[in-house]
Amino acid sequence: MPIPLRYHFRSAVTRWRSTAATVLGIALVVFVYVAMQAMAAGIAGVGANTGDPDNLLVTRRGATSEGTSQITLEQLRILQHAPEIAREPGGAPLLSADLAMVINIPRITGEGNANAMVRGVSPRGRALRPQVGLVEGRWFEPGMREVVVSRRMARRFAGMGIGQSFKAGGNTLRVTGHFDGGKSAFDSEIWMDVDETRSMFDRANFSSLLLRPRDAAAAKAFAERLDMDKRLKLRAVPETEYYTKQTGSADTFKKLGGFLAAMMSVGAVFAAMNTLFAAVAARTREVGTLRVLGFRRHAILAGFMIEGTLLAFAGGVVGCSFAAGLAHLLTATGFSFGTFSPQTFSESVFELKVTPVLITGGLLFSLVVGAIGSLLPALRAARIPVISALRSL
Amino acid sequence: MTLHGFVVRNALRNRRRMLLTMLSVGASMFLLVTLLVALRELTNPPTGIGASLRIAVPSKVSLATELPARQRPILEKLPGVRAVTPLTWFGGRLNGEESFNLPQFGIDARYFREVFAEAILSEADWTAWMASRTACIAGKDVAERYKLKVGDRIRIQGDIYPVDLELTLAAVYGIDGAAAADSIFFHHEYFDEAMGNPGTVGMWWVLAESAEVVPGLIDRINATFANSSAEVRAETERAFQLGFISMLANLKLLIGSICAVVVFTLGLVTASTMSMAIRERFRELSILKAVGFRRRDLFAFILAESFGLSLAGGMLGAGAAVGLYSSPLVTKFSKGFFPIFEVTPQIIGTALFVAATLGILASLMPALSVMRLSVVEGLRALD
Repeated sequence: MPIPLRYHFRSAVTRWRSTAATVLGIALVVFVYVAMQAMAAGIAGVGANTGDPDNLLVTRRGATSEGTSQITLEQLRILQHAPEIAREPGGAPLLSADLAMVINIPRITGEGNANAMVRGVSPRGRALRPQVGLVEGRWFEPGMREVVVSRRMARRFAGMGIGQSFKAGGNTLRVTGHFDGGKSAFDSEIWMDVDETRSMFDRANFSSLLLRPRDAAAAKAFAERLDMDKRLKLRAVPETEYYTKQTGSADTFKKLGGFLAAMMSVGAVFAAMNTLFAAVAARTREVGTLRVLGFRRHAILAGFMIEGTLLAFAGGVVGCSFAAGLAHLLTATGFSFGTFSPQTFSESVFELKVTPVLITGGLLFSLVVGAIGSLLPALRAARIPVISALRSL
Repeated sequence: MTLHGFVVRNALRNRRRMLLTMLSVGASMFLLVTLLVALRELTNPPTGIGASLRIAVPSKVSLATELPARQRPILEKLPGVRAVTPLTWFGGRLNGEESFNLPQFGIDARYFREVFAEAILSEADWTAWMASRTACIAGKDVAERYKLKVGDRIRIQGDIYPVDLELTLAAVYGIDGAAAADSIFFHHEYFDEAMGNPGTVGMWWVLAESAEVVPGLIDRINATFANSSAEVRAETERAFQLGFISMLANLKLLIGSICAVVVFTLGLVTASTMSMAIRERFRELSILKAVGFRRRDLFAFILAESFGLSLAGGMLGAGAAVGLYSSPLVTKFSKGFFPIFEVTPQIIGTALFVAATLGILASLMPALSVMRLSVVEGLRALD
């Protein structure tokens, strides 16, 4: 017969101080674990959330990102009238040659500079990226040294309020509006007219072509044709696929989170063992009484294991709530994390993303910590001889 | 029995608890030391001997923007300049590796030994490098990691640039001091040729004649190219490297916050262990009180035990960190992201200080309850 849960619950409440310390200790471990994984998920989420599966992105073969890719004017001329590309009602092909480049600009906090991504974009490029919507101000006027920046970037870099201006190299750029990229990679970008970008930064070439094929078959045909073409040395992938691979530093955060959680859980397991050993020692007489009442050794073992695991589980619940609460708070205040992405060579902005999978992972993690931590104390409780237990003070 | 012995015996009487506490504190301390070292390595660029004389001259737009080669003669003529070399970050993958793992630079080999004075490269090795257009040199750490020896062919696939470089290892260089020799240097001319002589370089690296002229020289370089089509941002090598730290953005904040959480958890563990230990001894402490020990004596007992336990745990953790990180484990695991992972005396000091402080804080709560305890009540206490 199992020991009623009520007994364990009440014991935990009676020793509320050490219970609280154990729960909080495990909660913090789970919190760090879930928060770090949420960052990795946030970074990966940005990549997964960017682009239109119907679009193709053309870059230099071998280039790891738009930043290291180059498309010459000649290549553009060869490709722009390809029959696979869909056309506007007016007959012009749905294709945009863009220039993505990195500029080094001061942070809003005054703590040095950081790299930011500037995208020179054509009007059709804007149409091909419907995720990006203006939320305040107006779009830039080509030739007027005007830019529109993402709302999130405006909170991270200096001089990015509407009407303000900042310097990129020797050029002064005026901000006319803020856009929202719908939690995509475009949230880490500054947009301006593509030809103006090329002349201002003295770039003859573009970095990528974004185009809309007529249909899926045309997309496949176009990509295959480009692969076969030894002369062009270009490559076309679905826009979504390109961005999914731009995971930036997600992997680093995942590994860091795993390492931290592993180290912290070692400490937490020892601490939980300590608490439970003390609990068992203090309740030696009670255990003896339970045995006299007819509870078997395995019931005692199971009971203490359940008690320890539930304590840890409570910690897991608290830790996950902390993480979810933090993510919510950051979103509500408009704060976004930024980190250097080695692929774009610039700062990428992301949010904490606490997913159900992460919560489940955090809770499982707490259960494991609880089970490991309570095994030895529970074994000890089960092995207590009845007579000596009853005699003990 | 001396009071000394009394404290030690008390601490040792529940060996399992003592061990668990020490391991728990030790694990957290190990983590804390690891985080502090990581933070230091991220925020404290290593400085070489010649670093104070070197000026980095990247494009003002950003590092990813190239500079025209025609700037070189102009730079060389500026007063206070001793040597100028292009330095181009190639950022390729070595011998068919999946990802970028170590820095490779194109440089003017003639000035390598002068500009990077801390590099150890013998006259003979340097001559061997100079002898061939496709020759390169690799740092000692690189040679060890990839088991390279002089004469080996190295192929670097360009990710940033659309060319692959076929190099031959001419020599292995070392570095004076603690800094890691973790790069490959090749002739910039060979790179220019492979690229079809585009007439651009990644950036300039300028050696000043003396430390005094550096600030003036930086201003002069910036002014010389101001309002030209290729403006530059000259800065000292240290400022340049600090710029990378600024790019890490919220990472510093993140590691700092995690440190805080770890320390808090540590405090929690120590405090709860001490309360447990003391609660079990309420009766004896009351007897001591009844026998005539003062409150401050009792406090001293508790404090000494808590302090000692916490500090021992701290030493365990810090010791483990020192032992583990003296081997090139982290360098290997981080794939060269942390070329050095050095546990400095300051960091050990900080960790032990935190442990000691937590030990003291953890003793306050139980000590307070013992001091408040009336003898009669304590004698009646059951557990």
